[in-house]
Amino acid sequence: MRIKGRWHAAAGFALLVGGFVILPAQFTQAYAQDTIRIGWVGPLSPPGGYAEGALMKQAAELAADEINAKGGLLGKKIEMFYEDTRGQPEEGTAAAERLVSQDHVVAITGEFHSSVFLAEMEVVHKAGIPIIAVDVWANKITAKGYPEVFRVAPCQALIASKYGEWIAAAGFKNVAVLWEKTDGGQSAKDVLLPILDQHHVKHDEVGADPNSTEFTAEIERLKSHNPPYDFFMTEFSEAGAYPLITQSYQQGFAPSAHTGIANSGGPAVDETFWENVKDAGKYVVTENVGLPKNAWNEITKSFNAAFKKKYTKEPSPQAVENYDAMLVLADAIKRAKSTDGKAIIAALEKTKMLAGRGEYSFSTAHEPDWAYHQFMGAPVGLIQYDKTGQSPDDAPIVWPRNISDVKYTYNKPAK
Amino acid sequence: MSWDYLFIQVMNGLVVGVIYAMIAIGVTLIFSILKIVNFAHGDLYMLGGYCAYFIIKLLGFPPVLAMVAAMAVLFVLAIILERLLLTPLYSDATERKDEYGLIVTFGLAFFLRNAAIIAFGPFPLKPPSFVEGITEFGDLRVTNDRIFAAGVGILLILALLYFMHRTLWGQALDAVSQSRDSAAIVGINPRRFNSLAFGVGAALAAAAGALIAPIFSLAPDMGVLANINAYVIVILGGMGSVVGSALGGIFIGEAESLFTAFFPDPTRAFAYTNAFGVLVLMLVLIYRPTGLFGRRHLRME
Repeated sequence: MRIKGRWHAAAGFALLVGGFVILPAQFTQAYAQDTIRIGWVGPLSPPGGYAEGALMKQAAELAADEINAKGGLLGKKIEMFYEDTRGQPEEGTAAAERLVSQDHVVAITGEFHSSVFLAEMEVVHKAGIPIIAVDVWANKITAKGYPEVFRVAPCQALIASKYGEWIAAAGFKNVAVLWEKTDGGQSAKDVLLPILDQHHVKHDEVGADPNSTEFTAEIERLKSHNPPYDFFMTEFSEAGAYPLITQSYQQGFAPSAHTGIANSGGPAVDETFWENVKDAGKYVVTENVGLPKNAWNEITKSFNAAFKKKYTKEPSPQAVENYDAMLVLADAIKRAKSTDGKAIIAALEKTKMLAGRGEYSFSTAHEPDWAYHQFMGAPVGLIQYDKTGQSPDDAPIVWPRNISDVKYTYNKPAK
Repeated sequence: MSWDYLFIQVMNGLVVGVIYAMIAIGVTLIFSILKIVNFAHGDLYMLGGYCAYFIIKLLGFPPVLAMVAAMAVLFVLAIILERLLLTPLYSDATERKDEYGLIVTFGLAFFLRNAAIIAFGPFPLKPPSFVEGITEFGDLRVTNDRIFAAGVGILLILALLYFMHRTLWGQALDAVSQSRDSAAIVGINPRRFNSLAFGVGAALAAAAGALIAPIFSLAPDMGVLANINAYVIVILGGMGSVVGSALGGIFIGEAESLFTAFFPDPTRAFAYTNAFGVLVLMLVLIYRPTGLFGRRHLRME
């Protein structure tokens, strides 16, 4: 009896261990078979850029709903897992780890902060899961050469270089550059300043805490500089961009007849831009990372209409980017006929599809280093508002000249 | 350096300093009576701003009336929060009162901040100006909203000082701040004055939020930096000293403005503005550990 009892105990123990080891695996497989799990990362609460994050998440939701309404992927519905990264790299790492090890997602899209994405991509690189960067611009994201990392947004080499070329073409000679101390701001400055040097444009740079909202002392300092600055380039993506533009205008610095102003980073194309800056926004130059309105295709039009219908507001360029990232990912999974990471990555490399921001494909070249898995055709147009309250899609495109819809390069304020 | 440039920077520093002071005074008032550091104070300031905004937008109140209404709403809300959350501080059954106060106000701060994102949306909002336009003094251009905010801020601070020093209720508040037991012996109900202090502090923060909104815009996380600045100012001015917080706020506003204006390396001056405020605080604390106007019997919990 004692021996039998031992056998029972051993068998029970084996069953218990087996249960712990096998059952979760079976459950995981069962989950994996039910739906295709896709992760989303981005800021949804402070101190991150939660306003932009919310729009990106809504666009991802819209894309997921549309894909599911058309029957899903590989015969299954897709299931989204959203993670709030709060603009904090450590939160990004934790979020990516949860998505990979707990939610067992097959791919991830999203993110608005370069510094956070740089933390997240380390996790997915180890796990071998593809990730599509949505609105992160630091060059080093794709320059690291990780096979899992793809980017639909333009990188700073594509954006800041356009600003540099435009500043020279518009005839500015002495530029003050105020950049936020983040990976994105640093990357923008590192690209812009050498281009200004190439064109013999003088410049001074000022670093700023990304949480700043009070700029008056600094603007007075810039305003009293001798020789005077004729252009004020602000690389500022946080909510402080609104007080920055407003205070610069109210103190008579820029935009003015003496000094032009640009804001790079995204806030100047958000829906609440005009409510916050009012007349200070007229003559501001900013980038639009979506297609110009005259080049909108059927997908751009249907996305804009669907977004407005569902959320009763205008989508931002970041929203279109996230919508497209979802379509690109869905297309790759379809072509891969698998949810295996390597198969999806291989399919993403062969992407050739039309979405809301044009014809997508990813470079596989390593020269220049940031080109690897970068959407090289990512649209970037510099717009300059010429009316208070103007929509970014209606603002004149001043650069590059091949897509510009006005004769001038820079519309100088009368006073 | 021109004198005009110095004058402009001093004036800008003064305006910003008064705004800082208004937030800090609420923190110090609550600390002096309840003996807790209210980590949710910046979030009450945020709520006050939003409250004024929605009163203007939904009820059509003029901005000044909306500010007064927001002060009243936050006064009542703060008393409710104090009754709901802080009463264990006054019970002998609560063993670790300091830790309780810290955790509950931290929790309240996170709750209010995240609830604001859900309720008001993530995008910055800006109410109409109190007084439209810009006033020019030579080369100095100051928006009328800043002048208005500084003026109203000074008036509210003076009114609070009058209340604290010249009225019976104010003197009773001061008595509770010095000794809760002694105040009770002479017939003052300390619990009532706990509520009053929390309510007055929140109303002042609401006024600051409403005054700031047309200048910096409203955002759910606007209280975070305001909180940090307020603690620096409160410690600089002396824990529990309303006058100290008022002067500390102006001192920090001036220090930040002049540091940004005159620091030799222009590329770094602006990025280190906040650090300079903390450096000033450290230097003051080395020579005056209780702050500029601190009272020895009030300790940091």
